Amino acid sequence: MPGLQKEKFIVPIGPQHPALKEPAHFEFTVDGETVTSASVRFGYVHRGIEKGTENRNWAQAMYLLERICGICSHVHSTTFALGVEKLAKVPAPPRAQAIRQILLELERIHSHMLWVGVAAHEAGFETLFMYSWRDRETVMDILETFSGNRVNYSANVLGGVKYDLGPAQTDSIKRGLDYLEERLHYYMKIVNSDESFLRRTRGVGMMTTAQAEELGAIGPTARASNVARDLRVDSPYLLYEQFPVTIVLGSTGDLQTRFVVRIQELFESIRVIRELVNHIPGGDLTVRFPRRIPEGEVVMRTEAPRGGLFYFIKSGGGENPVRVKVRTPSLRNFMSVLVGSVGHQLADVPMILSGIDPCFSCNDRMIVVRREPGKETAS
Amino acid sequence: MKIGSMLGEIIRSVFRKPATVKYPFGARQAVPDRLRGVIQYDAEKCTGCMLCMKDCPSNAIEIIAVDKPNKRFIMRLHVDRCTYCAQCVVNCRFKCISMSNTEWERAALTREPFTVYYGRDEDVKKFLEQTASGVSQEQP
Repeated sequence: MPGLQKEKFIVPIGPQHPALKEPAHFEFTVDGETVTSASVRFGYVHRGIEKGTENRNWAQAMYLLERICGICSHVHSTTFALGVEKLAKVPAPPRAQAIRQILLELERIHSHMLWVGVAAHEAGFETLFMYSWRDRETVMDILETFSGNRVNYSANVLGGVKYDLGPAQTDSIKRGLDYLEERLHYYMKIVNSDESFLRRTRGVGMMTTAQAEELGAIGPTARASNVARDLRVDSPYLLYEQFPVTIVLGSTGDLQTRFVVRIQELFESIRVIRELVNHIPGGDLTVRFPRRIPEGEVVMRTEAPRGGLFYFIKSGGGENPVRVKVRTPSLRNFMSVLVGSVGHQLADVPMILSGIDPCFSCNDRMIVVRREPGKETAS
Repeated sequence: MKIGSMLGEIIRSVFRKPATVKYPFGARQAVPDRLRGVIQYDAEKCTGCMLCMKDCPSNAIEIIAVDKPNKRFIMRLHVDRCTYCAQCVVNCRFKCISMSNTEWERAALTREPFTVYYGRDEDVKKFLEQTASGVSQEQP
């Protein structure tokens, strides 16, 4: 029937979907099995965290913000603490900054290893998923030895950190990293050599350098497309000037390159953690921190495992923040999924989606209310 | 390029012990020294500055003055609200709050075990009697 051929066939995915663990609604227009266009809608897990900080004091707000993401929790509390310390003009002591940096890099290791597992699972490579998550326990154990908690470490206080790097922690970090380094070399070999896996990753979800720039991609997703963008290098915070990292770049921008870039970043993280542990500055862990923060505004940017994290903090001179705005990295990478999936098979879409290491719940914070004459739109 | 590149790993694993633990059966794994368990409170050292209560992100701590002039305080801890962030431990200048690394298995079928009172026995008893008889409490 010629009339039917002109109709679009839309495949809705989510917000409740067995393949996606987090809620988002995607609509893929398909021609046969090939995706011709895509759209996305968020907002199913809006938790009102930004507004919640306004009713809490500075210390309480930090713990609330730490819970924006379950995987990269430390980077949120560190970014907030760094911003507030900048506003109060009371920087944390160097030893505390070094400990924060060690934890940030350990967090990057556990986040990227989690992603390797998730992406392998989406590709149907369950063995890699199981083994990479088993080995991820090593870094979780290190974090537990360090802070007493596996996930939300709550290691920060405003003006320092709670936990020192003692002999037990140094020992567990050194032993753990030696094991992980060996395992990561093995995984690097697997993702580069397994025939069936390469067929699911090589040339899939391709994003050129120009596209990555245009779509505003950040983090390892952009770096796999040869965009040298890393806030640890571009605007160093903590001790990233004394203990720098090298940007890891890929050239092709497909899924396979993203695997390689992320695993190589872990070798960089391991190197930096070892340097920090061996040359950790001495001194106090905390400084006395005021309860009232002077009036002012500050923007703080850090490199989370998924890309640049942005915080805007405004103080009215009181014990509570007046406004906290957070922009998480996943939000900037979603456009690459919508553009990248066009022309691919529908079956490749979960792989392309997991290729940016998406974190859905982190995004759901923004509400735009457009007031036009006689019309109000909330999105 | 090869197929089944992790096959060797899988075959080796057949002869290994499982990585998982059959909790709660069998020998317990050692927990790290810094494990954050249930908050412990030493009423003898407390001066009633309430800083732990002010900064608690989940309102889990209540410091109640039983006899304020004589510095007799008790703590009502809502274990089910606690997020184990240890901000109270950092805030306490007199080191009367700590976190146990042995008390961390808190599963229960009712809500009652999640409200814990700390303090001198006679103070806690006095407070509970007053609450039961409906006498209004001197709140901080």
